[in-house]
Amino acid sequence: MGNSAIQPVGAETATPATVSSLVRVTGLRKHYGGVRALKGVDLDLRAGEIHGLVGANGAGKSTLIKILAGLESPDAGEISVDGTPVSIATPDQATALGLSFIHQELNLVPRMSALQNIMLGVPKASTLGLVDWRRVRQLVQPIATRVGIRFSLETPAAALSVAEGWLVSICRALVRRSRLIVMDEPTASLSAHECDNLFRIVRDLSGNGVAVLYVSHRLDEITGLCHHVTAFRDGLLAAQIDRASLNRARLVEAIVGTDKPETFALAAANVIAPESDEIALSVRNLRRGSAVRDVSFDLHKGEVLGLGGLVGSGRSETVRLIFGADAMQGGQMTLCGRAFTPRTPHDAVEAGVGLVPEERRSEGLVLAKSVAFNLSLTSLLGLHVAPPLPLMSMRRRDKQAQEMSQRLLIKMPNVATPVGRLSGGNQQKVVIGKWLSRSLRVLILDEPSRGVDIGARQEIHRIIRELATQGVSIIVISSETEELPGLCDRVLVMVEGRIATELRGAAITREALVQASYLSTEESQPS
Amino acid sequence: MTTASGAAPEQEKTSALPSLLAKYGTIVGLVIMIGAFSAMAPAAFPTLSNGINVLNQAALALIIAGGLTVAVIVGELDLSIGFAASFEGVLVTGLMVNDGLPPAVAIPIVLLVGALIGLINGLIVTKVGVNSVIATLGTGTIVVGLNFAYSSGAPIAAGVPDSFVNIALGRLWGIPHNVLIMIVVTALLWVLVERTSIGQSIQAVGGNPLAARFSGIRVDRIKIMGFMVAGVCAAITGILLASALGSGTTSAADSYLLTAFAAVFLGSATLRDGEFHIIGTLFGGLIIAIGFNGLAIFGAPTFYQYVFQGAILILAVGLSSLGRRYANR
Repeated sequence: MGNSAIQPVGAETATPATVSSLVRVTGLRKHYGGVRALKGVDLDLRAGEIHGLVGANGAGKSTLIKILAGLESPDAGEISVDGTPVSIATPDQATALGLSFIHQELNLVPRMSALQNIMLGVPKASTLGLVDWRRVRQLVQPIATRVGIRFSLETPAAALSVAEGWLVSICRALVRRSRLIVMDEPTASLSAHECDNLFRIVRDLSGNGVAVLYVSHRLDEITGLCHHVTAFRDGLLAAQIDRASLNRARLVEAIVGTDKPETFALAAANVIAPESDEIALSVRNLRRGSAVRDVSFDLHKGEVLGLGGLVGSGRSETVRLIFGADAMQGGQMTLCGRAFTPRTPHDAVEAGVGLVPEERRSEGLVLAKSVAFNLSLTSLLGLHVAPPLPLMSMRRRDKQAQEMSQRLLIKMPNVATPVGRLSGGNQQKVVIGKWLSRSLRVLILDEPSRGVDIGARQEIHRIIRELATQGVSIIVISSETEELPGLCDRVLVMVEGRIATELRGAAITREALVQASYLSTEESQPS
Repeated sequence: MTTASGAAPEQEKTSALPSLLAKYGTIVGLVIMIGAFSAMAPAAFPTLSNGINVLNQAALALIIAGGLTVAVIVGELDLSIGFAASFEGVLVTGLMVNDGLPPAVAIPIVLLVGALIGLINGLIVTKVGVNSVIATLGTGTIVVGLNFAYSSGAPIAAGVPDSFVNIALGRLWGIPHNVLIMIVVTALLWVLVERTSIGQSIQAVGGNPLAARFSGIRVDRIKIMGFMVAGVCAAITGILLASALGSGTTSAADSYLLTAFAAVFLGSATLRDGEFHIIGTLFGGLIIAIGFNGLAIFGAPTFYQYVFQGAILILAVGLSSLGRRYANR
């Protein structure tokens, strides 16, 4: 049923190289505000092939998928299906063209049964206008069996494991007669055994003429599974690799590139490894769920420590524990020699720990309020007219904001401007500025330069180094491999909830960071 | 969506008028209303005594609305305030009549009860995680039950001390006490919200609870405090109403809930873009009071009061959301 639309699948075994293009993308461009996410990329996907899509975070993979799914419209470029140019304006149209998308979060309705989820939005067999679920089940069951569903289709989605949810999603795609299934990080939360099962199904799909666009950070899976691989870098096509020349080294090179960024050479010269003996923050055996499995490290006074690794490797989750935003399930911390167990961010702030969160608009700022309001949020008590009197001096607040804006070069009409009207870079400086008006021991910055232009990024780096020389200990999380080398004294690379590698000084390079990030933990390699 | 860059300036041009309307429309409406009533009833409306009368009528609603404003600024709704005010009116007279307590003892006790109801509301919303509409609807209904249990539904009238009745009915320099108390309460609330660190935290929690939490603000405490301010203000209104009526009546203050909401939402569409604030609530309350006063002067049948109140609530919330929609464009 699922593959009936596919015509000649004679050579459906190993490499369906002879088959013509199913989906061809040429010169696709897309920008968000000032950020150019796609600068003209190509993709040539043939019927029945397993096509890998790789690239660092922000390389443009998600944007391409959103455009194919009809969730975003491209600025320029052409998409053709079966050689016919198409425009995909809505998800419905993507479905009609035979494209299915399975995202990491799966999007199943938890209270509905597996069968209901599979049939969501699909015309169902009916008698007198009423859905005939018995007949529907009879139609679906063979497909379910084919993708390896062994549980009852009446099971509610909430009771399914992640792996079972994937099977339901694949089944849904086949019921819709999909010819291309896009899988976004399918193995991110699967066990080794579940991975093997998924690989078998993916190969089976391919053998039956259904193409799979396989998006993954796990390079071993890509090399083991894919017929072709497309690599993106910085919104551009970096490489198109076919099976014959596919290997790990080639992929890493395609993802990282060979050119060295000049812009950071200057910053790198300033980096000094202070190696102060004084330990500001000591973290031992931190645990929380599957995100933070066992994290231990020491943060020295005045040190800039980078946390590298892939999105989802547990970096944000780790710093949330340090900031008291989540409760830890195990481990100890000491801050300047004293036991440190923050139950809330308030405790952490009182102890001298600040966080510049990843989502600055939703977590860092009150957008409707002024720059002065936002800058004063962490130092309200210090702005009282006289300590016993609970009145605030608005003049002092505005003056403090004025000074901070000058120090951080925040561009704005005045301190009364709503912070929501500033550009991304200036908003980020306000979030950082919040912490500079109180005495700080540790400042954590989660993706400080995401969505920030190059000028503001350099200023943010300058502020970070300046704070470090003043004795503040800094933790920086960044997914951009070129950011950490110029900035950090030391980098810890996290892989799957653990610290996998430590890099120091000159050893902190883009290549080393990528290599360490993709270090797989033995399990979950395709056979 | 596709022509985002081209459409932006055009949109700004068209949004200027609605934005202005949302910001200053209520004040324009207030001026028009005063002008129209003055022209239509020159002998009755634009007089000093009627002005004081309007303020006196507005005073109790403005006190309870001021408290509600603080709860709304922290991002929560409190539907229990009207029922709580009724209960507190009954309680204060009961404590004096049945238990023989002097007003100076009974009043502080009832103010504490108001704070306690706010505390309970706040704990249910923050610690249990019940949506504030449901939580306060529940506590409000329970309070109605307490009210009937305490008073058996009958008004407590006989034996209310004169000194208590004089609180609401007395005047200082020709100005009713109620008006003076309203001015003091409003001023205190304004200082609390706009000029204290707690007030800044209150605004931050309402503006973005996550950002407030990540700035080290204790969001739960601030929310509970917001409910407690609303609770105390409801108690003040309940006490003053009992004093003005000379009795504790089971459902006397229930209708203040609607008036308070209308004033708060009208106020959010005044001077600021859909943002709740004390001065705005003051304007909102005055508009409503003047409207009622006009209806009374022209002898409009009672049902018009309900139509007016319902219509103004919808208009107020409409203007408020309009203002918010055009804010930060």
